[in-house]
Amino acid sequence: MIAASAWVCLLAPLTAVLAIALGGNRLPRRTAGYLATGSTVISFAAAVTALIATLGKSASQRQTVSTAFGLIETHAFKINLNLLVDPLALVMMLVVSGVGSLIIAYSIGYMKGENEERRYFAYIAFFAFSMLLLVEAANFFVLLVGWGLVGLSSYLLIGFWQERPSAIAAAKKAFIINAVGDAAMALALFLLIQHAHTLDFAGVFGQAVVLGENTWLINLVAAGLLVGAIAKSAQIPLHTWLPDAMEGPTPVSALIHAATMVTAGVYLIVRAHPLFEQAPHVQQTAAGLGAATLLAAGAIALVQTDIKRVIAYSTMSQIGYMFLAAGIGAYSAAMFHLVTHAFFKALLFLAAGVVIHALGGEQDMRKMGGLRRRMPRTFIAMLIGTGALVGLPPLAGFFSKDAILATAVSNGVYGKVLFAAAIAGVLLTALYSFRLLFLVFSGEESELVKKSLPKRKRAEGPRWMTAPVAVLTLLAIGGGWMQVAGLWHPFSSFLEEVAPSFAAEPSASREWLLSAVSLVVALGGLWIAWAIYSARTQRAPRAPRALVEKLYFDRVYDLVFYRPAVAVAHRLGSWFERPVIERSGEEIGFGALMGGRFAAAIQSGLARTYVLLVAAGVSVIVLLFLVLR
Amino acid sequence: MLTTALICLPLLGALSVFLLPAPRMWVGSLALFFSLAELALWISGLTRFDFGSPKIQFEQQHSWISDLGISYHVGLFGFSLWLVGLTVVVMTAAIAYGLWSGRERANAYYALMLFLLAAIVGVFTAQDLILFYVAYEAMMIPLYVLIGVWGGAGRLRATFKFVAYTMAGSLLMFATIVVYGLSHGFDLATAQQSGSVWLFLGFAAAFAVKAPLFPLHGWLADAYRESPPEVAALLSGVISKVAVFGFLRIALTQFPGPTHDLRSLMLALSAVGLVYGSLLAFRAPDIRGVVAYSSLAQMSLIGLGVFAQNELSLSGSVLQMVNHGLVSAALFLLAGVIELRSSSGALSRLGGMARGRPILASLIISIGVISLAVPGSNAFAGEFLILAGVFQQGWGWAIPGLVAMVLAAMYMLRLVSALLHREVGEAVSKKAPDVLLPELCVIGALLGCMLALSVWPAAISKHSFACLEQAPLTSAGISSQSKAQVGLACVPGTGSTTATTTGTAK
Repeated sequence: MIAASAWVCLLAPLTAVLAIALGGNRLPRRTAGYLATGSTVISFAAAVTALIATLGKSASQRQTVSTAFGLIETHAFKINLNLLVDPLALVMMLVVSGVGSLIIAYSIGYMKGENEERRYFAYIAFFAFSMLLLVEAANFFVLLVGWGLVGLSSYLLIGFWQERPSAIAAAKKAFIINAVGDAAMALALFLLIQHAHTLDFAGVFGQAVVLGENTWLINLVAAGLLVGAIAKSAQIPLHTWLPDAMEGPTPVSALIHAATMVTAGVYLIVRAHPLFEQAPHVQQTAAGLGAATLLAAGAIALVQTDIKRVIAYSTMSQIGYMFLAAGIGAYSAAMFHLVTHAFFKALLFLAAGVVIHALGGEQDMRKMGGLRRRMPRTFIAMLIGTGALVGLPPLAGFFSKDAILATAVSNGVYGKVLFAAAIAGVLLTALYSFRLLFLVFSGEESELVKKSLPKRKRAEGPRWMTAPVAVLTLLAIGGGWMQVAGLWHPFSSFLEEVAPSFAAEPSASREWLLSAVSLVVALGGLWIAWAIYSARTQRAPRAPRALVEKLYFDRVYDLVFYRPAVAVAHRLGSWFERPVIERSGEEIGFGALMGGRFAAAIQSGLARTYVLLVAAGVSVIVLLFLVLR
Repeated sequence: MLTTALICLPLLGALSVFLLPAPRMWVGSLALFFSLAELALWISGLTRFDFGSPKIQFEQQHSWISDLGISYHVGLFGFSLWLVGLTVVVMTAAIAYGLWSGRERANAYYALMLFLLAAIVGVFTAQDLILFYVAYEAMMIPLYVLIGVWGGAGRLRATFKFVAYTMAGSLLMFATIVVYGLSHGFDLATAQQSGSVWLFLGFAAAFAVKAPLFPLHGWLADAYRESPPEVAALLSGVISKVAVFGFLRIALTQFPGPTHDLRSLMLALSAVGLVYGSLLAFRAPDIRGVVAYSSLAQMSLIGLGVFAQNELSLSGSVLQMVNHGLVSAALFLLAGVIELRSSSGALSRLGGMARGRPILASLIISIGVISLAVPGSNAFAGEFLILAGVFQQGWGWAIPGLVAMVLAAMYMLRLVSALLHREVGEAVSKKAPDVLLPELCVIGALLGCMLALSVWPAAISKHSFACLEQAPLTSAGISSQSKAQVGLACVPGTGSTTATTTGTAK
């Protein structure tokens, strides 16, 4: 039952891809959208079925592995195509298929009239398949396959508008940075093959302690996995692709670059926690990188003018919180924030998409303003999403973020440092997200708004768009209530069997106290944002250059990696390949001699000659060998 | 009998195609019929092949020159079956593509193609060194003519270089074979192993030219650029595999000592070639240049796998040989498809071809990402196995492989974008149609093979070295160097070493 549901969940979107690809132009455009949405709804239903069946088992038996066949085999080594359904996988399956189907349904409205709708829906269904493969994998190889395929679908969707050079450049950048992560992960897998002789999760984790005796080995394995995780989750220093990825259609940003794919790094750390726990320094590095990212991304978000880029930096920052939690061993807190973040961040993106859609594709916040009256429902959705992101009670982010803060402060000196970063991040979050809200919705209506939205016209898009936004709004309101400190914690007890958190549990009273502190900080941020941006008339403070330059990461990479690589490739071509290698052939006298005769023969132009040539060649060889006899 | 039939059927085809006094289409169709019949023959062989047996199968032996122990001895085993299959599939695609693009002087053209097919099958099935050499040379002659007559504007220059390089390699190999055969025996199934470094180098140089391995690839760029697309597809897809086959079948199995001594050198050449080819592919100014240098890189990767010489890397190499054969053949045929639709192959003058051509775009993207070994593709499975094996041989050797994984993404995505994306290039004719049905059938069939192998790479990786089944390695045994040799004990004819190496393995 569970195994069958897992396969249905995985294969339904793939079926839709095949149907759309093979249907081609015969398939009506709309049908492609229905197929993609329907298939992810089926996946969601299958995931729910698997959840119910799993809940029916006792806590220690909630792991089901289903093996299909040997994917890669040599005689001594075998990697199976197998799926694992356990609480951790189930949480991810539900998020991916649930939020995924909402966002794909939204795309039906958003992409309407787009030239190549079918291609879009084929790609996005392929993404759903790849992501489900990633989270259902029962061994590292299948995980890496899903890992690579989500990268591929991300590439295809970022570059969906393929005549835009910026979109294509962004797509390539995303793929190549993720290829670095893939290569690092492959390295970790080679080490595991060599020392653990298997890639199955159960087998590897069972040997984690033995592997841990070799410090070098375990640190390298964990580091390889961590590099893969930070590349996929856009954490410093491999984060530069994510803001550029906003070149893709907005639903793609919501699904891939906010709700699901970019959180895969967090999933990987939680999934591979037995290995990371044997390499505490690497795990702490993950927490440190998370803290650094949440601060840097929050700061850069303050000065962005593109509405989607603000939300993208916000995503990096929020994933930083999850890395922080996973890095100090608070796995259920990390996963909890992953789930609520999927709700409210998807909501923010989709609501932003409604605005962008209404304004004819404009993404510059400076040209927006005063949309509150024109788009009241979108405003409310955005307000709730922002509140959840900032962590205002009783919205989703309040519960999940505070769990992370409280756990951090209860975990020694390092935890306190991380806590300081995290609480500073709360202030930044409140600042940039309310800045966005005020810039877009409050103040006077801008020229662009007046032009794009004539009076009395409600322009919040078709029902395909508004309905998913409404559902996500409800989830952003209520999603946090599945776990309340001191009252109930079904989520963490569900995950306990797979990923038992080793971080010290904060007491409920301390958790509530910290909630109050972070609430005060958040409200302070709100107040500052209000003071600066609400009227829109006051001159905003000038943005520091370092932030506008995104802390110079792109420039440094360009100078240190890209340009040298291009220069070396160029020099190799012009100084070595052409003068030395290519010319050498021409200068072999023997070659010239042969060539001269041969050319004469060829140029006679008669078919007979060629045959003679063939015959002569063969007979020469035969003669030669008869003589030698 | 089957093996002889596999060799003789295309020969018969070549003769009848040459003599058929009919229009171009009919001649081509007859040639296609023969190649399809060959394909059917191979499939029937595949179904009857016993993968569990380490013996040479479908074996046939007739004494030829008994004084020297030279015989007509042919047969199939493990990985040679897959390489024959690759040859037949790629040749069928090439003939179909040639038929569609309507080559001039059809009788000679198709006769040469079928003759080439017979020769390549001969190389893969020969169990006698002299027979191997005859087939090897017979393979080169039609190639010279196919490039020199049906090639592009710079075909003569390309042919000279190709002839110069390969002739040098062949003569060296011939001398080596004579010296080796007279002292050790010509029959590969019974020949004694040799410890001579010079003889090893004689073989290795010939095969390294053919593969090509760095720095003996001087002929590559011109030959791949100037050949007709389907001949370039054969060159990079199949002929290069003949060289690797030679390494596996002769150089490594008959010379275990020298292989061991020179392993670092060969690994180093492969590693350099891998990164070097990737870098040049990244800056190559035209489609064929990118594909040609990526081919150099991929052959170097396979070289790494072959010389790392353990179970994982050898199985991966065989898998990757088939993968690369399919991928590079498909890429060269695609290059042909694009060249038909534009006045130039220069990347700076192409672009925007995706607009209004969804099938072309889908083919280029799918084959492109398989070629850059996106995880989940057959090429990734091969690369993963190779590098996992190489890693165990010495972790440092795997690092260039990982760097090349990133470089491959860089050059392949650059190619894909330059062809499909951005604004429509000046060389692209506006009215150029999408991929037509015949083109789709040919390239789609190759893509179908790749996808099938992506889903089940074990089909090849598990069924290439049969005797491992009899000497199963414990998982703990994979890493050690002496035990690593076991992979090669599976090539028939290394009877004496089979005992010794498995002995040490236990």
